[in-house]
Amino acid sequence: MEMAIEIRNLTKNYGKKRALSDVNLTIEKGMFGLLGPNGAGKTTLMKILTTLVKKTEGEVKVCGVPVENSGKIRNMTGYLPQDFSMYGNMSAYEALDYLAVLSGMNGAERKTKVPQMLEKVNLQEKRKVKVRAMSGGMKRRLGIAQALIHDPKVLIVDEPTAGLDPEERVRFRNLLCETAKDRIVLLSTHIVGDIEATCENIAILNQGEICFHGRVAELLSLVEGKVYSVEVPVTELEK
Amino acid sequence: MFGVLFLKECGQVLKSLVYYIYVAVFVFFVESQLSGEGLAALQEPMPGQSYYGETVTQDKTLIMEGTLVDLVRDLSHNSFATYPLGFYKGVSLTMEEREQAEEILSRCTGKSMDELEEEMTMHFEGDAQSGMDVKMAAAADYGVSVKEGFSYEEFEKAMQEICHLVGRGSFYEKASYENRVYVPMTYEQAKEEFDSICLKDHLTRAYMRLFCDYAGIVLAFLPIFAGVSGALRDKRAKAQQVIYAKPASGALIVASRYLANLVMAALPVIVAAFMVQQPCYERAGAFGIHADMWAFLTVPGVWLLPEIMIVLAAAFLITELTDSIGAVFVQAAWGIASLFGASTLVGDFGLRLVARWNTFGKTMLYESLKGEFLFNRGYYFVLAIVCVLLTVIVYEKKRKYVV
Repeated sequence: MEMAIEIRNLTKNYGKKRALSDVNLTIEKGMFGLLGPNGAGKTTLMKILTTLVKKTEGEVKVCGVPVENSGKIRNMTGYLPQDFSMYGNMSAYEALDYLAVLSGMNGAERKTKVPQMLEKVNLQEKRKVKVRAMSGGMKRRLGIAQALIHDPKVLIVDEPTAGLDPEERVRFRNLLCETAKDRIVLLSTHIVGDIEATCENIAILNQGEICFHGRVAELLSLVEGKVYSVEVPVTELEK
Repeated sequence: MFGVLFLKECGQVLKSLVYYIYVAVFVFFVESQLSGEGLAALQEPMPGQSYYGETVTQDKTLIMEGTLVDLVRDLSHNSFATYPLGFYKGVSLTMEEREQAEEILSRCTGKSMDELEEEMTMHFEGDAQSGMDVKMAAAADYGVSVKEGFSYEEFEKAMQEICHLVGRGSFYEKASYENRVYVPMTYEQAKEEFDSICLKDHLTRAYMRLFCDYAGIVLAFLPIFAGVSGALRDKRAKAQQVIYAKPASGALIVASRYLANLVMAALPVIVAAFMVQQPCYERAGAFGIHADMWAFLTVPGVWLLPEIMIVLAAAFLITELTDSIGAVFVQAAWGIASLFGASTLVGDFGLRLVARWNTFGKTMLYESLKGEFLFNRGYYFVLAIVCVLLTVIVYEKKRKYVV
């Protein structure tokens, strides 16, 4: 089975509003960054790939499977939404175990995989902490654990570092890089630093259209000589 | 997979505050209503007793006479009690309507309204200053005769005309007047009733019907909250997207949640029924009969389970459709209308959500209405399954349109 996401002439309209316009992308194994300002259409694209939103036009295939085949797509993708949360009365272990059941895992698989994933995201010691008592960083780590629990071929993460402190952000980036070794990881963000630190291939989305698709080095060469930095004293800034 | 998810969902119900409120309100309501008086008062009738209780008469002449007594009184005061949507509404007729009603009454009795009022005044004369007992005895004696040769079919037509004048939900509707006229029981009737409670109902089944009457009232409302709370859980926890994106089918998710809520809602009902049934064993022993030990399961199983099923299923469906607590208001109105819409507290099942049987016994009447009762419960059982299937469809649709 081919290991790529193929997006051809994808368009999505919400009523009269066009969220995505004729998007063409090929995303291969490894980390792929989707960069764009808020409202650019990143989340819509992610939701189409995870079968949560129906496309208006175009063709989308995940590892050769058309996105219309929602059952198969859900089996091969893991999704961490932008504002991941779970039932507040569940502990980290219970929440992950519950979501593992929804991922179709049997008792024996869960018994091995749930502690493993908690260990991987550094939550094993906090496995009894209730979701309602978790910090933003802990919740994101639980979110990535649930997205990876059924060992998907594709991992889709939407703004995973928003709201995290710098230390948590670095830890989270490393975790994503580690998981991208043998799968496609699609990282959507508006934080340039996240992409720069983790992705080799990127696409920039603006107002529903792809305005750049290629390697980070290509993007940097495109803007070479067009970007500069200036140090301005605070007193001058006010003027 | 279903079993594991079902158990996890049961665990979630057990962790919810709504569930404990459900249990507390249910136990408090049933405990406060079910006094056990009927059971304690049950005695084998002996020949020569002055009173054996009362029974609804099937005698058409008595039904006509009893109904006409009410009509003379209501017309005389020009005050008619109606329950069009389950709630009381007093109706007064206009002069023209009153004349029409008096003409209908004259057709039934062969007497003018003035004559009938005069007879009533004479009958109750002198009782105004008397005690309650004397007044009640006078009311029991008072009768209005039907015109000779006046058939039951003509009477039914006349009552339809009265209903047209008075409006919906009056005592002059067929379902109402045929269940409202009581006559004293004879020894034979009382003995037959007693024997059927002991031998057909084995005591416990009759008592469980009374339990189901009270429990059924509160169960028209309580599971709404459990259903709404269960269906809104993902939204409240902001877990919709992550759960929608999982491979589990909508049927698996909805069915496991529905069944978990159903089992957890039924559990306190069965436990309460078991506890309530206990005093019956002693009484059964006193009468030398064997109580039906499984009545606490079989009677509420048929009587209350379809009700819990449909209330929960409708709550799931409406909540899934609207993503709001709208089901609470819609279903509360449904429950109230069903509760107050019945013409009698014993029987009149129709397609009412709450099946009333506010009496201990009346086994023979129950047997005669059993077909209607089973149709009612079967209807809600099937409707509940349809609602759950519709919820699965709505859930799957929503899964593809997350905004």
